[in-house]
Amino acid sequence: MKTLLFLLAAFGLATIPWWGSASFIQFCIDALLVAVLAQSWNIIGGFTGYASFGNSVFYGLGGYGVAISMLQFGLPFEVGLCIGALIGTSVALILGLPILRLRGFYFGIATLSLTFTMTSLVSNISFAGGNIGLVLPIGPSDTLFFELSLALLGAATLTVWWIARSRFGLGLVAIRENELTAAVMGINTTLYKVLAFMLSGLLASLAGGIHAYWITFLDPGSAFDLSLNVKMIIMTVFGGPGTVLGPILGAFSLSAISEMLAFYITNLANLFYGFVIVIAIIFMPRGCIDLALHYREQGWRYFLENIKKTKI
Amino acid sequence: MRKALLENLNIRCRHGNSGKYKMILLWQVLVNGVLLGGIYAAMALGLVLAWGVLHIVNVAHGALIMLGAYVSYYLFTFIGLDPFAGMPLSMIVMFGFGYLLQLYLLNFMIKAPMFNTLLLTFGLAVIFANLAQFAFSADFRIINPVYAGDNFVWLGATIPLVRILAFGVAMTLTLFLWAFLTYARYGRAIRATAQNLVAARLYGINPRKIYAMTFGIVGAFAAASGVLYGVVWQINPYIGSNLTAKSFAIAIIGGLQNPLYVIVGGLFLGIIESLSSLYLGPTYSDLVFFGILVLILIVRPTGLLGKTA
Repeated sequence: MKTLLFLLAAFGLATIPWWGSASFIQFCIDALLVAVLAQSWNIIGGFTGYASFGNSVFYGLGGYGVAISMLQFGLPFEVGLCIGALIGTSVALILGLPILRLRGFYFGIATLSLTFTMTSLVSNISFAGGNIGLVLPIGPSDTLFFELSLALLGAATLTVWWIARSRFGLGLVAIRENELTAAVMGINTTLYKVLAFMLSGLLASLAGGIHAYWITFLDPGSAFDLSLNVKMIIMTVFGGPGTVLGPILGAFSLSAISEMLAFYITNLANLFYGFVIVIAIIFMPRGCIDLALHYREQGWRYFLENIKKTKI
Repeated sequence: MRKALLENLNIRCRHGNSGKYKMILLWQVLVNGVLLGGIYAAMALGLVLAWGVLHIVNVAHGALIMLGAYVSYYLFTFIGLDPFAGMPLSMIVMFGFGYLLQLYLLNFMIKAPMFNTLLLTFGLAVIFANLAQFAFSADFRIINPVYAGDNFVWLGATIPLVRILAFGVAMTLTLFLWAFLTYARYGRAIRATAQNLVAARLYGINPRKIYAMTFGIVGAFAAASGVLYGVVWQINPYIGSNLTAKSFAIAIIGGLQNPLYVIVGGLFLGIIESLSSLYLGPTYSDLVFFGILVLILIVRPTGLLGKTA
């Protein structure tokens, strides 16, 4: 029954390009790609508990993989996407091995520094367009990009769904709850963490590749955009970290909110976005999914209980 | 600037004496780096305090610096108050701001996981930046006292007056905070609360007030470094995120044990930035600095001066 509902929902989404307006389709492509990014962060941040600020590195590498192979080597988009994904995943492997030894906030700072390093590195490589950036050829219609993004989101969600019910996912959750205990229980924590990081990097670089070809422009500032990384964190946390559908819920609802705010109160949109973040973090720190589960039994007390737990 | 310097150097080199001029250039760059580093240290001071005592990863720190700089800018532009003379006033304003922020907002989140307070302060940073843009416009502003262009020569290196003043003030403030935390009654109460909340409560400390006080100090020091930043560079509502990243880097390098350690972190950042801008180009300074930071984290996760776990 549940599977049927999901298939129906996916089918409904897939028909959007045939009845939606052009701007609505563009909004949807953006929301879908951001949802993929939220899912990718969910694997390393939500399940494994390692708050990565470096997913924008993979996102940018995916984009540059596509752009460079199309422009400098004349390869088709599909090959470029694979190359970008390969680069993103292998960088996740190489960097993950030393960096995943760091815990907690130090891991966050290290990945944050990687984002800055990468921005600075790429803007000094003239082969990659330097500071000016690269202009890609115009791609096919928005319909194709929409279906491609939807398929990617489907694949990402299936991956997360598999993780949530597999031995691998249980190992990741064990690492999140207590890494030492997990290691004592016989989990190869290094392998599990690096695998999670690589999966996360794979999804982010695929999203980056599709986005680059869709926007047809790429420069270091927008490719390795830190605020995008923060966005995926906020969306995941807003929806429900460590759940299968939470990141999608968070990405769709927050994209819709910020789009509506941008439409109705143009210059104050970001301000209200900030307020949404602050209020959500204070009153529902475990996300929408947790709220939906507990609201029925606790009612309004749910919000007060959350504050009671964290206040002094 | 760099191009002109290097060309000048090349001309001099062709006329012989190249070694001497290269040494002078290196000396000048080192002096620049040290002066820069002092201001960076003052910036990171508040961040280290919030992190070490309140366990708040304050992503809004750069935004607080920005707000402090604007307070001083308006004091200077509309009342004509000299930025260095008006610094205590901006510090008092931002102390009140930080005090109220902690008392009525952050205290409700103080026991939350560190990651949640990070997101909360990120939301605050977004709010502050956008409010500032709404109130002060997105234009670049500069605090420009009459002596802004003055400089003097010391041991062959040219030193701008405002930079050495800013450096002196930054060092004084850092030493003052260290002395306050080490010797003053209130400072010791702050450290006691950081070490053991329950024990501090038993000794009659009201943690709510102490936390508010601490964040007030964070605000005051952010304001002071904001004034220094505004005198030396230009301000606009969006400088915050870059300053936060730099402050974090300094805090990591220095470690959280002692406010004096931020001086080391600050000087490290300042000197590396100046050296890499000269010898590799300004676009490489981020690459070099953050690359080194990652290496330091991998080799010594508790900072250069921190105790090993």
